[in-house]
Amino acid sequence: MGFWLTMPKVRLRLFVTFSALLLVANQSLFFTHAQRSGIDVYAITNARIVTVSGSTIDKGTIVVRNGLIAAVGSNVSAPPDARVIDATGLTVYPGLIDSYTNFALPEPSPTPSPVGGGGAAFFLAATRPSPGGPNSTQPAGLQPEVMVEDVIRSGTSELEASRNVGITSALTLPRTGIWMGQSALINLAGETPQQMIVRSPVAMHIGFTPLRGTYPGSLMGVFATLRQMMLDAQRYRDSMQIYERNPNGVRRPELDRSLAALAPVIEGKMLVVMYANTEREIDRALDLAAEFKLKTIIAGGRESGRLANRLAQMKVPVLLSLNLPHRTTAALPEADPEPLRVLRERVEAQQTAGKLAKAGVRFGFQSGSLANMSDLLPNVAKTIEAGLSSEDAVRAFTLWPAEILGVSNQLGSIDKGKIANLTITRGDLFERNSRVAHVFIDGREIDLRPEAAGPTPRNTLSGTWTTTINLGADSKTITLNLQQEGDRLRGSIEGTLGSAEIANASSLPEFRFSVPVNIDGQTKEATFSGTAAGNELRGTINIEGRAPGSFTATRTSQPN
Amino acid sequence: MKTLRVFLTVIITIVAAGRYSRDAFSQNPSETLIRNATVLTVTHGTLQNTDVLLRNGKIAGLGKNLNASTNARIIDASGKFVMPGIIDCHSHSMLDTINEGTLAVTSMVRTRDVLNVTDVDLYRELAGGVTTLNLLHGSANPIGGLNTVVKIKYGRPAEEFIFPGAMPGIKFALGENVKRSSSPNQPGITRRYPNTRMGVEETIRDAFTRARDYKRAWDEYRAASARGEKNLIPPRRDLQLEPLVEILEGKRYVHAHCYVASEILMLIDLANEFGFKVRTFQHVLEGYKVAKEIAQHGAGASTFADSWAYKIEAYDAIAYNTAIMTRAGIVVSVNSDSDERARRLNIDAAKAMHFGDLTEEQALKLITLNPAIQLGIQDRVGSLEVGKDADVAIWNGHPLSVYSRVDTTFVDGEIFFDRQQDLSRRADLARERASLEQVEANKPPAQGQSPQAPRRRPRGHEDDDLEQVDQP
Repeated sequence: MGFWLTMPKVRLRLFVTFSALLLVANQSLFFTHAQRSGIDVYAITNARIVTVSGSTIDKGTIVVRNGLIAAVGSNVSAPPDARVIDATGLTVYPGLIDSYTNFALPEPSPTPSPVGGGGAAFFLAATRPSPGGPNSTQPAGLQPEVMVEDVIRSGTSELEASRNVGITSALTLPRTGIWMGQSALINLAGETPQQMIVRSPVAMHIGFTPLRGTYPGSLMGVFATLRQMMLDAQRYRDSMQIYERNPNGVRRPELDRSLAALAPVIEGKMLVVMYANTEREIDRALDLAAEFKLKTIIAGGRESGRLANRLAQMKVPVLLSLNLPHRTTAALPEADPEPLRVLRERVEAQQTAGKLAKAGVRFGFQSGSLANMSDLLPNVAKTIEAGLSSEDAVRAFTLWPAEILGVSNQLGSIDKGKIANLTITRGDLFERNSRVAHVFIDGREIDLRPEAAGPTPRNTLSGTWTTTINLGADSKTITLNLQQEGDRLRGSIEGTLGSAEIANASSLPEFRFSVPVNIDGQTKEATFSGTAAGNELRGTINIEGRAPGSFTATRTSQPN
Repeated sequence: MKTLRVFLTVIITIVAAGRYSRDAFSQNPSETLIRNATVLTVTHGTLQNTDVLLRNGKIAGLGKNLNASTNARIIDASGKFVMPGIIDCHSHSMLDTINEGTLAVTSMVRTRDVLNVTDVDLYRELAGGVTTLNLLHGSANPIGGLNTVVKIKYGRPAEEFIFPGAMPGIKFALGENVKRSSSPNQPGITRRYPNTRMGVEETIRDAFTRARDYKRAWDEYRAASARGEKNLIPPRRDLQLEPLVEILEGKRYVHAHCYVASEILMLIDLANEFGFKVRTFQHVLEGYKVAKEIAQHGAGASTFADSWAYKIEAYDAIAYNTAIMTRAGIVVSVNSDSDERARRLNIDAAKAMHFGDLTEEQALKLITLNPAIQLGIQDRVGSLEVGKDADVAIWNGHPLSVYSRVDTTFVDGEIFFDRQQDLSRRADLARERASLEQVEANKPPAQGQSPQAPRRRPRGHEDDDLEQVDQP
């Protein structure tokens, strides 16, 4: 067996080892801090718990310890070292999984080079090194060896909107390409890419978009290229085996990372996610899957309901987009009426999930590049109205995608030993008036920053604010002086945390700034972030080396 | 909420009814008796007051006072005409993409991969009495992609469209489109080779030379492994060269787009040199100049009735081309190369009677038996004979008259177009539209962009539209 087959496993193992090392280092260096242990253990009590894997617990407790679910049940009691969250009236779900995204990636390069072997140049700025391998035999867009793991970044801006609606994990993949590369499953929080990655690689990805200005420049060419490369990969594997058996007297096959990366694909050992929305796109993808006996998943799947029987028969799951089509153009009397086909498709798209469930096709929901993440859960409600059971809707956001993507031993249900990703809501998840109250990722509570209600008037932050800071055990009161001009925010703090100018400030719709504070006998950087409503501020404060705290403020004077 | 749900259910039902209304057709009885028609057999003349019996997808009887079983559908065709389904030997309907123009040789690409069974042009073609299409790759390169011969089973999955047993084919192209005559020179961008007709010949010769070497490499490998040699690494499977080897072995038909006499002679010489036959010259507007040579080579010709002068290489065309080539002994067909013209190929066939004095039977053959021969499906379709496929159309008048239209079109004995059913369905569709427009997803937002003007597909020759090269 060639080295390329074991590569993914080696990567995973290395990664796990590396993470473990990090954890040990973390503990030895910082664990002595008293606050630290306080936030590693939580007890969520009096909660309605939708475990998904088993029956729903009407009133129970979940203990979270060391990033994992330590216990769950109706008779579980909160350990003494746990921070207790009374979840009376709240419902706990497994953290939602968005099963097809481009999260945590660098912004796409503004001028992607159309041709050339620039590795992952397709989604990298030109100045970055190319992890896809500068010695690739293939042009960008046809490099199955590209691994999204190599370019994942922490702290990208789109994660927050997803966490706010309860998403805790996502499959993330390169943005473009025919052989798009290999995806990773990430948790949507973490200081480093290494902390975020749950598993990599998860799947190989195929998009059927032709290249620009070079072969393949048409859909026909795309299929021909996919076929040829898979045939080449078979020959490469066979040639390598023949050569390794007896190199003497056999001409050495040329190394080819692209073909090597396809070996697990053609052997049916690696998941292959194909992006296909219309009936014929899906049909073609399934034809290709059958031709090469690929372990296929369809992503997008807008019209997959029409092919539910074929999908069920071939046991092909779907990563179904919740970016439901709707009319976006205004009514103009002189415009032609919309085609009947388009009108039908919009209605039909809402029924797809229900049809898949009825036919026994496994599917996971995905956001499908929704412009506004706050449409995500309401769109699920539309699929429920159109025939999907609400139980299946929860499954399609938790356990089913975890199973489809091969991470159900880590994620997807509330069971002892799984990663403590939890979404806690007031009201049922998909109900119109429900609200995400808490989100846990890797056993840590995440700051939810709901969008400010309505537009806030200008200069709203200027003034003197009496601010109460709550840092777990102790609380402190300081004075905050802010001046806002346009979007620019300046100011200072005074009081028990010392006097200092604020920096790195931004204002609307959420304000955020950092400032050095005197605490525990030393100067540390504190980051304030929050929202304003009239003469009230509220938000969170993060001081390095301490648990996150919260603050509220009241305006005591305002300049004219 | 409840009213909404009831409303949605109603809509869903209506949508389902709309989408699957073809089920009304698919309750086709296995037997149909068309009574008392004027039957244009194409091969055995015109039969007056004759019955046509369709059974299990085949023509089961032709004659007077035929009997049918009690379950049979009986159609009184008194005063009407029955002819074989029309075969269009050059079509780009139902292809989501026509050209892979990035390379000069794209024999690895397949039209089969990009079929769009929902293309409404198919329905319009059925309404013009067309039942079979030769779906060809575009003409952007000397050696284009592989063709697909389909029966127009509109509403069915793609695999049901595939014409069983049709000879595999491939598109070649010569002349202006291939050498990119109308592509502008852009600074810094190298034009794709070839740029001259000389280059076109060289490109094809080079491809067949490589195909010969490829075949030899595989032959040697097979011989060596038959001798029991160990540790052999097989040659690479090359999807570009495999179809060319099939041409050399006589297992794949060449359909070559061409215009001028010189390039036609060039391809005949080149084919003779490599030992293969060109099955059809397509367009072949100067075919009348080299009809003898084409006949001698044994190639067919598939041309336009009277479409010319749309580019320099089409200036020497004449309306007598069809008749002259027919009289030279060439199997000639008239094709559409256009979703629009495909609906009225009967008129284009009739023009050959006007300009070249072809007989009625010769004119009908241009769109039935002759294209069937050119595609290797003449045992299945192309004439009304007992045992052939029940691909037939009922016309309300003589099909070679400009005043006639199709009433009913059968493919494999099933109705895929019926004028009366179409008319009666329109009220249902209007009702469906009215209710769909009430659904939230279909309501226009208070603000939004203006609706896009509908994108029209270009009319006329699709091969003449080089802008299509890079378009899907």
